[in-house]
Amino acid sequence: MDAEDGFDPTLLKKKKKKKTTFDLDAALGLDDGKKEEPKDDEADDTATAEVEDNLDLESFGKKKKKKKKPFNLDELENALPGEGDDIANIVATEEPEEEEINLDMDFSMAKKKKKSKKKDLDELFADKLEDERNEDKENFEGNTTTWAGSDRDYTYDELLKRVFEIILDKNPDMAAGRKPKFVMRPPQVLRVGTKKTSFANFMDIAKTLHRLPKHLLDFLLAELGTSGSMDGNQQLIIKGRFQPKQIENVLRRYIKEYVTCHTCRSPETILQKDTRLFFLQCESCGSRCSVASIKSGFQAVTGKRAAIRAKTT
Amino acid sequence: MSIQNLNTRDPFADAIKGNDDDIQDGLVHIRIQQRNGRKTLTTVQGLSAEYDLKKIVRSCKKEFACNGTVIEHPEYGEVLQLQGDQRENICQWLTKVGLAKPDQLKVHGF
Repeated sequence: MDAEDGFDPTLLKKKKKKKTTFDLDAALGLDDGKKEEPKDDEADDTATAEVEDNLDLESFGKKKKKKKKPFNLDELENALPGEGDDIANIVATEEPEEEEINLDMDFSMAKKKKKSKKKDLDELFADKLEDERNEDKENFEGNTTTWAGSDRDYTYDELLKRVFEIILDKNPDMAAGRKPKFVMRPPQVLRVGTKKTSFANFMDIAKTLHRLPKHLLDFLLAELGTSGSMDGNQQLIIKGRFQPKQIENVLRRYIKEYVTCHTCRSPETILQKDTRLFFLQCESCGSRCSVASIKSGFQAVTGKRAAIRAKTT
Repeated sequence: MSIQNLNTRDPFADAIKGNDDDIQDGLVHIRIQQRNGRKTLTTVQGLSAEYDLKKIVRSCKKEFACNGTVIEHPEYGEVLQLQGDQRENICQWLTKVGLAKPDQLKVHGF
């Protein structure tokens, strides 16, 4: 450093020139590399990937700025007392500030100039190499794929991961909750006497599911293998003893079969009747599929046989 | 490139495949019904008519230690009827013996 200080004016100029040339090359090379890689990606990918890459590029820019501004300030402070040539320093400091307003390329140049003032040429090269490495790393991180530049075959897992990342980037709603939550109030099930059960918020549940109460009623009675009817104050009376947990299980099965879409599992569906068949039309994905009709199937005789015989005859 | 017409095709492929395992076609519905008190009935509907239901019910009764019958129904054919909640038992038993696959079983009830 002392020797350099002695030769100051000439050396500085030389250095500057040298550095500018070096830096230009390096900067150009780096920037070219940066620009090329995303381009390759864009070529490979569809329009979906473009957005991603653009975002990445922006973030690169941000990173650079953040990194380089602190460096500049520190180095400026160090440089002022360290080197005697105030004028040169001022010139040097002014130059980069002007350049900072310009393109990204200039940032790298400015950075390297300042570093080079304090450090030897060898160190400079080392720095450059380091910078290049760092920026390479940044590139890789930005692409989120370690195989961006390589020719090797991509494994299935990598491709799968990449696809899901792109999907998540494109649809931020999906990222928030993978499966849209379907909140429902628990069924209020009370015993009425010893042999009957009342399902108090049956109408509410039918409403939240957007299904006809009759349809839900049919399903419940068929599944539970009993009989039942609606009460005067809109509650369901089922014959037999049932716990809330059991009713909940049956409701869960109903939702799975008749409410959630079979393809995308969204609960925004419409149940339509078409030529005696029920069709589930999904509002979000547009799929339409038929659902099983509600059949109670074989019902064993559980009551008193004498009473049944008396009825029929 | 192969010419499709010249491909040899086994005309009995379906028959051979059918003989192997797939006697049971369609779903087996396993239901539960409440009787008086905490007593229940389990019904098994949809077992293939090629099975001898009487033999099945005989071994079921022994296995689950319960009573049971075969009921002839005009619409649903022969239906197994077992006393008590035997849904779990009958599912396991049917798959273990190989009368039906797990995806052919449909359990109803609570």
